[in-house]
This record gives sequence, C-alpha cells and structure tokens, in this order.
Amino acid sequence: MIVVFSEDGENFKSAAALAQSLGEEIAGVAKQELKFTNKLYVTDFDEDVVVDIVSKESPTLVIGGDTKRDKTVAARVAARLRAAYAPSVVDLKSQGDRFVVKRIGYSGVALATLTLSKPAVITVGKGDSSPKEMQTQVIRQEGKGRVRVVERREGKGTVDLGSAKIIVSVGRGMGSKENVKYAQELADAIGAALAGSRPVTAEMGWLPEDRQVGLSGTKVKPKLYLALGISGQPQHLAGMKDSGLVVAVNKDKNAPIAENCDYLVVADTVEFCQEMVKRLKG
Amino acid sequence: MLADLLIHPRLVRVEVGLNVVVGFKVVPDETLIKVSSGKLDMNVAVKISTYDKNAIEEAVRIKESTGGKAIGVTVGNTDRKTIREALSMGVDEVVAISTQYTDVLGTATAIAEEVRSMNPDLVLFGETTTDGSTSGLGPMVAEFWGVPVITFAKSIKLDGKVIRAERSLTPVVEIVETELPTVVTVTGEINSPRIPTLRQIMESSKKPVRTKEFKSSPMASLDSVEPYLVQRKRIVLEGKTEEVVQKLIEALRKEGAL
Ligand SMILES: Cc1cc2nc3c(=O)[nH]c(=O)nc-3n(C[C@H](O)[C@H](O)[C@H](O)COP(=O)(O)OP(=O)(O)OC[C@H]3O[C@@H](n4cnc5c(N)ncnc54)[C@H](O)[C@@H]3O)c2cc1C
Repeated sequence: MIVVFSEDGENFKSAAALAQSLGEEIAGVAKQELKFTNKLYVTDFDEDVVVDIVSKESPTLVIGGDTKRDKTVAARVAARLRAAYAPSVVDLKSQGDRFVVKRIGYSGVALATLTLSKPAVITVGKGDSSPKEMQTQVIRQEGKGRVRVVERREGKGTVDLGSAKIIVSVGRGMGSKENVKYAQELADAIGAALAGSRPVTAEMGWLPEDRQVGLSGTKVKPKLYLALGISGQPQHLAGMKDSGLVVAVNKDKNAPIAENCDYLVVADTVEFCQEMVKRLKG
Repeated sequence: MLADLLIHPRLVRVEVGLNVVVGFKVVPDETLIKVSSGKLDMNVAVKISTYDKNAIEEAVRIKESTGGKAIGVTVGNTDRKTIREALSMGVDEVVAISTQYTDVLGTATAIAEEVRSMNPDLVLFGETTTDGSTSGLGPMVAEFWGVPVITFAKSIKLDGKVIRAERSLTPVVEIVETELPTVVTVTGEINSPRIPTLRQIMESSKKPVRTKEFKSSPMASLDSVEPYLVQRKRIVLEGKTEEVVQKLIEALRKEGAL
C-alpha cells in the first residue's frame, strides 16, 4: 500500500502521479475530493488526524506533498512507523526492497543520493506529470487534534513563480521597501514576475512571503532570472540554479552570485532599474 | 496598584521557572564548501546550524524571563569550540551525544531519550538545518515523546502552561495554541541571536558538558554527495550604468532572452 497526502491539491496530484507509476494500491488524504487514488480520506487536515490516518494504513511507502505542513506530518509519520525519511526528493527509484532517492544537501551545494529501507516516507514538490483519474472510494474523516487554531490569516497566493518565464528578483541590495517599485517597473517592462530573497519576503515584508525564491521558498526555472542586489548565498541559489540565463546586478564584484551568473552588472540596483526601463521604453 | 491587580489578574500570577531543552547541530559551514576538480571539499570550518541559533536565543530568553533552565542537546559532531558558543549564549549545560553517521530518525531517537529523562516543559529546535534540511527533527522528537508539536513558529508567547505561536505556513499564517509540554521549531525570523560578550565566553568554560555515545542504525543511508553546480558564463559588465545597461540589453536580445 502506498499512501499519498497533501494539503495542497496541485501537490497532491504530483505525489499521486509518482505513486501511480509504482503500480500498487494507493490510499490518499486530501482536503478536496480528488479522484487519483483507490480510496481517499477527505479531511480538513488537522495534523494529528492526518498522521493517524496515514500511519494506520501500514504503508510501505508514503508520498507527501512539500508544503511546510505536509513536511511536518511526513516526519511524524516516519517517526511513528520507524520509517526511513527523505523530504523534498527530486528522484525516486524502487530497487528490490529499497528505494533510492536524490535530494538537495548542504543548503543547495550538493545533490545527495540516499538508500531508504522500507517502509519509507518521502515528500515531493509540484511537478509536470499529472495522474490518471480512477474510481475512488471516498471516506470523510474529521477530528480535532491537540493544537488549536485560534486565528488563520489566508495569504494571498499572489503569483505562480514556478511557471514564470522571466523573473525579476530583489534582495536586500534593493535598499528599501520603497525602492521595490523600480524593480516592479522593470518587471512590468519585460513581462516578468517579481520575486525576492528570504530577507525581503519573510523577514522585512517588502514583498509577500509566497514570492520567496530558494531552499525554503519556491524553486524556479525561468528562461531569464534577474537577481537585483542578491548576494547569492547557497540557500538562494538552491531555488534558482536551474534557470536558463542568470543576470545579477550587484555593486560588489566579489559577491558569491558573481560565480553563479551569466552576466554580472556592477551597478546600483535602483539606477540599473531606472536605466533599463528608460532604454526598453525608449 | 490594587486597581492594577484587579484589572490585570495576570500580574499576581507567580511564574514558575520553565525548563527548556534546545537542540542544535554542529554542521560544516555551507558557505565555505567549494567544488574542486569535480568534488566537494567538505574539509571546512564548522558552526552552529544557522537557525538553531534562533532556537538557542529563544530558549535563553524564556529561561531568563521565567527563571528556569536552558539545556542544550547536540548529536553528531561534538566540536567543543562550537558547543561553547551555545553555552556563551546562555545555555546552562549541554548534553553532547557523539555518533557515527546517523539519519534524522536516529538523531530524534537519541534526543527523545534525553528529553524523556529530563522531562522539560518545552523543547525547541530550529526550523531546519543547513546540512540535511529535513525539518523533521522537531516533529519526530514530539512523536517519540508523545507531545504536540508546533513547527515554523515565527513568534511564541507563554502564559503559564499555555503556549501560543504564530506559524509561518506560506502563504498562510496561523495562530495556534496548546498546553505544555510541547515541541516547537522556530524560524530564522523569530529573533536576532545575541552575540556573546567576552565575559560570557570566558564564563562558558565553567559550564558543564555531559558527553554520551549513541549507536545508530540508520534507515536512510547516504550513498553519495555530488556537487550541484550549474556552469555559468560569468561575464562582468562594469562601467557607466548607461553603457553597461546598453551592453546587457544587446546581449540579452542576442541570447533571445528578451
Ligand atoms: C535554512 C535556511 C534557509 C534559507 N532559505 C532561503 C531561501 O529560500 N531564499 C533566500 O533567498 N534565502 C534563504 N536563506 C537566507 C540566505 O542564507 C541569505 O541570508 C539570503 O539569501 C540573503 O539575502 P540577500 O541576498 O537579499 O541579502 P544579502 O546577503 O544581505 O545581500 C545583499 C546584496 O546586495 C548588494 N547590494 C547592497 N546594496 C546594493 C546596491 N545599492 N546596489 C547593488 N547591490 C547592492 C550587496 O553587495 C549584497 O551582495 C536561508 C537561510 C537558511 C539558514
């Protein structure tokens, strides 16, 4: 038995597609009625409840989604089943009584290959492959856990960075929240999505948190990635390394991004944006 | 004064010192790992994993404000100099558990054993480490110990035995509440880790470090670690902004990127 779960519908699909490729009986846990597994538990996704549902299926493999909540649930399931655990895997192969997986290590500096004994618990991000629809037995299962939600602030879900073709990404070197408008103007001029590093999103709130690119944010792969005032720490690079062309704008020629870009423009970020917009519009 | 007490009954509550256990990991500094002749050079300086410092800071603040204790636990590399940094930051004592290679499940098993014997009010971890980055340790320890877990907390507040936390679950933020004992993992945004003074560094040498060994039989074995490197052109455009921008636009048009 394989169990697939995610609080996110799209992520559930990519996990289900991977499960289907392994040709075993599949149980799913989701918030919505999605018809990609033999049976499906529909629940409002209290973590205690999901951990119970998944563990009770006695799976040989659990494939979770890659959201922060999914990873929290996955790790607990691994502990409860005393199972091998590998989150955010980018490749999975079944080899007899084991699984061989690949995932990023050392904050993005490395690609690690691991062998997992069975049972195993992994998580996967959203992907391109979609699962086949199938006859699904739906079971509703609600319940309350030990952690109470007092308040929920729905984030906006402002862009889909994962599928953006051009991305303008801002870092601390943009200077201020106020200055982000220059990057926005540049993004508008070239039809790009606007993204940012962790400090400008999660810490300082210059941009909404779902715009964060990197190890703990979104992994992106645009044709063109413009990094404005981003130093290029491993965790940032981990999220944009597979981009087509990388242009960096930095006043420091020796910033680590210099080693990881195709073009390094040594300039002030604001002046660069203004000049670009002027030329592209003129 | 009396009026104050009537309006804010909380002011009269006697806070009991909370005992906090904080897990931290000694890891190779990822910013120093370089690729040489197609291989990763892992022979670099070690440090406390970045966000584990935020967990230490939070543990020390709770200890200071409630008059309790903060005990550090580390598994794997037990480098003394790095452990002393945690002690300098205000941790009272460290349990240093050395092991050969272990997976996160093994680490969780070792820490849960300690936690059970110490029976603290709160166990803190960083949201993830800079080496394995599984974000799994906190949830696993909670599961073994049999208490609730709150992950990715960007702020926490204690009120007697009730803990309230703001969870950063991009793009959602949740305010959640549960009773102690509990396990919490904290984000890098929860606080700014203090830089110990010279005096704190000197005094840390007197604080106890208990060493132990743990024999792990990992369920996940690490077969190989290859560089994840994408070769880039690395063309530097330097000079007057008008000129370099002109050059860049030409280059991007030629590449078909604009
Ligand atoms: C576990 C973990 C996960 C993480 N996940 C992520 C993640 O997902 N995404 C992420 O981005 N980070 C992540 N980080 C943080 C990461 O390590 C770096 O701290 C962060 O990426 C740095 O952001 P930055 O480049 O914007 O800022 P800085 O490192 O401060 O760089 C600013 C750059 O701007 C340049 N600059 C300054 N002023 C100007 C100017 N006027 N004109 C031009 N250039 C200028 C500077 O030379 C510098 O290079 C993570 C860290 C950890 C520990």
